[in-house]
Amino acid sequence: MPNHPNLGSPHHPIFQWKLFQSFMRQNRELHCSNALNTPKQTKSSREASSPFAELLTRRRGCTMADRSLTETLSEWNDLQKGNEGLQQVFQKYLDDLQTTSYKQSEISSNIARQHRHLADLAKSLRKCEHTPEAVALRIQIQQRDNELREMEGFLPKPSGKYLSLVLGNLNVTLFSKQAKFSYKVEYENFKLYLTCTCFLLTLALRLWNSYKTIDTLLNFLLVWYYCTLTIRESILVLNGSRIKGWWVTHHYISTFLTGVMLTWPDSIMYQKFRLQYLDFCIYLSLVQFLQYYYQSGSLYRLRALGQRRSLDITVEGFQSWMWRGLTFLLPVLFFGHFWQLYNAITLYEMACECGWQEWQVPVQSFTYLLLFVGNFSTTLRVLLQKLREKRQKIS
Amino acid sequence: MWRSHPPASRDSASGDCRGVCKAAIAPVGKMALNGCLMRWQELEEEYKGLQEAHRQYKQKLQEVTELQTSCSASIRCQKQKLQELLVHLRRYQTKASAEELDTVKALQQSIKERQAVFFDMDAFLPQKNSLYLSLVLGSINVTLLSRQAKFAYKDEYEKFKLYLTIILIVTSFACSFLVSYRVTDEIFNFLLVWYYCTLTIRESILISNGSRIKGWWVTHHYVSTFLSGVMLTWPDGEMYQIFRSQFLYFSLYQSFVQFLQYYYQSGCLYRLRALGERHNMDLTVEGFQSWMWRGLTFLLPFIFADHFWQLHNAITLFKLARHPLCKEWQVFVLAVTFLVLFLGNILTTLRVVQQKVQRKTESKSKIR
Repeated sequence: MPNHPNLGSPHHPIFQWKLFQSFMRQNRELHCSNALNTPKQTKSSREASSPFAELLTRRRGCTMADRSLTETLSEWNDLQKGNEGLQQVFQKYLDDLQTTSYKQSEISSNIARQHRHLADLAKSLRKCEHTPEAVALRIQIQQRDNELREMEGFLPKPSGKYLSLVLGNLNVTLFSKQAKFSYKVEYENFKLYLTCTCFLLTLALRLWNSYKTIDTLLNFLLVWYYCTLTIRESILVLNGSRIKGWWVTHHYISTFLTGVMLTWPDSIMYQKFRLQYLDFCIYLSLVQFLQYYYQSGSLYRLRALGQRRSLDITVEGFQSWMWRGLTFLLPVLFFGHFWQLYNAITLYEMACECGWQEWQVPVQSFTYLLLFVGNFSTTLRVLLQKLREKRQKIS
Repeated sequence: MWRSHPPASRDSASGDCRGVCKAAIAPVGKMALNGCLMRWQELEEEYKGLQEAHRQYKQKLQEVTELQTSCSASIRCQKQKLQELLVHLRRYQTKASAEELDTVKALQQSIKERQAVFFDMDAFLPQKNSLYLSLVLGSINVTLLSRQAKFAYKDEYEKFKLYLTIILIVTSFACSFLVSYRVTDEIFNFLLVWYYCTLTIRESILISNGSRIKGWWVTHHYVSTFLSGVMLTWPDGEMYQIFRSQFLYFSLYQSFVQFLQYYYQSGCLYRLRALGERHNMDLTVEGFQSWMWRGLTFLLPFIFADHFWQLHNAITLFKLARHPLCKEWQVFVLAVTFLVLFLGNILTTLRVVQQKVQRKTESKSKIR
């Protein structure tokens, strides 16, 4: 271990020597009939009935104290021995770490090179004739690409811009399938707990409170929740999750929306919109709650059947695999999307009616509209895709 | 005359031409395919080597993980036993004789040194995340497993602070002198909230990696996040307009002091590190650390001015809170928060300065 002195062992003989000296001195004193240095451990209140009794008491007192210090020293000695072994193992660990990190960079660069060569080969293959051999080679190239990507799952990957900004150059790659899966499960649980918390808080605000101050607490919690979701999802994406497109952007937009809600002063317009907003939040929490249970149940079933990639997550929205037995969730989701449209319309009418002094009103109106358009079109697209696939299967 | 020629001959000529061309292309196409197949064979060979290297790497990774677990367990066990020994020694100290007292003290010192060694060793082993980090990141391991990586991460943290400080200087300058809309103020406040939140995350990661930044300097960022958040919610009114300029000038000055501190401290830290005199994970923080005494006395008045400006903000806000027109809760809360910040900052800075003066006088008396 660089820079760390091997402590303890030089001291140990000194302790033992001091202890031995102390033992010898006390024994000499105890045998001496002259005035003795009264050891501190003799109780002052106890009066010796005879010099022998006093000696015995002293010796007994001394022996007890020495034994406890001896015990301590022998324990320290044992720990010393254990520590020497530990230092050796630790040094081996540090050396192995170094070797592993060299191997990591070497293998990463080799894999990157293979990817490049495969891409060049695929390009030159396109210029060749369309023979069965060429087709077979193309398939093999594709397979090799997939195999390389699986290998990359065990190597540290550079974080994206967002993660680098928030976390710096921390490696957030999880090196085993089990670790990735448990991280995903943890993400789902985090969403569930926060959804429950937001649901309870919103319900409390809806029923018992009408002060903007406490609404602010809910809004800060929501902003923090969406920001944390974006961080965790970026980590999941880096580790191979295929959540994509709109569902990721959706969280950034929700962060922005809640932030704007935070800055909205307590005015007549705010009070007018407040109840609608809280009702909408309650509904959203319930939908997310429902989705979590149905999707995780479905996902476990599908995974048990080996039919889905492990990193698929429950997201706000309809993924393609959700068709199986989850049609009942669809109307619930669509109702949520249309509520967003209704919010957009309400806010727009409010802005037109009461003037455009509070900029939060038109901005939120536009943002809700954006959310509605994004959510609705993405859900519809997934639905249409599934219907088409079903029809193709039937035909 | 051309037209009287039967087109067939032309056709056959062109047909012959096409046939010749096809015959010419066919070997070329086949050559290209053969070239591709040869290249594929080469790549296959490379891939086999890569697979073997990857298999060995995975095996090594497995061994490293096992070593990590066993080292962590041993260290944990040793730390527990050391703690028990310390407790026992403390109890024994009261009834020890004079010679034994020396032994006991020396043993206690050795135990404390061993504990420091284990603290440093822990920085190379995966740790369970603190509550804050596990809330934000989940169970991602944030331990950087080499000194070089830790140092690089720390450097990056310092640069992040520097760049954001520059951005904050520019933004607060713009809000103070160029624009005066509540919207731009909101953007500035959101930037502050995000900056302080990100700092808290990065500092938690640094602490997990063995940094010794502690106590007030960490809490200070959480308090600043809260302050900026409350500032965010303050609606635009008369009270806000009265306080606005003071707050923006203060933010500008504070960012400027942080900028100065960065340059002086990083220079000093590099010098000390080159002399091997400081723990590598010390950071430049808002405040005066004990080693900063060396040649940095000139920064002290700037730092004290910053603290006293916070007190001035607190007093202004307390006065505003008693204003008849003041209805906003933010005013009083901000006043209390600025006061807390002032007290924390001034007490910590004074304590560090006092410690240094004491050490200087002690070393001077020893020399004499």
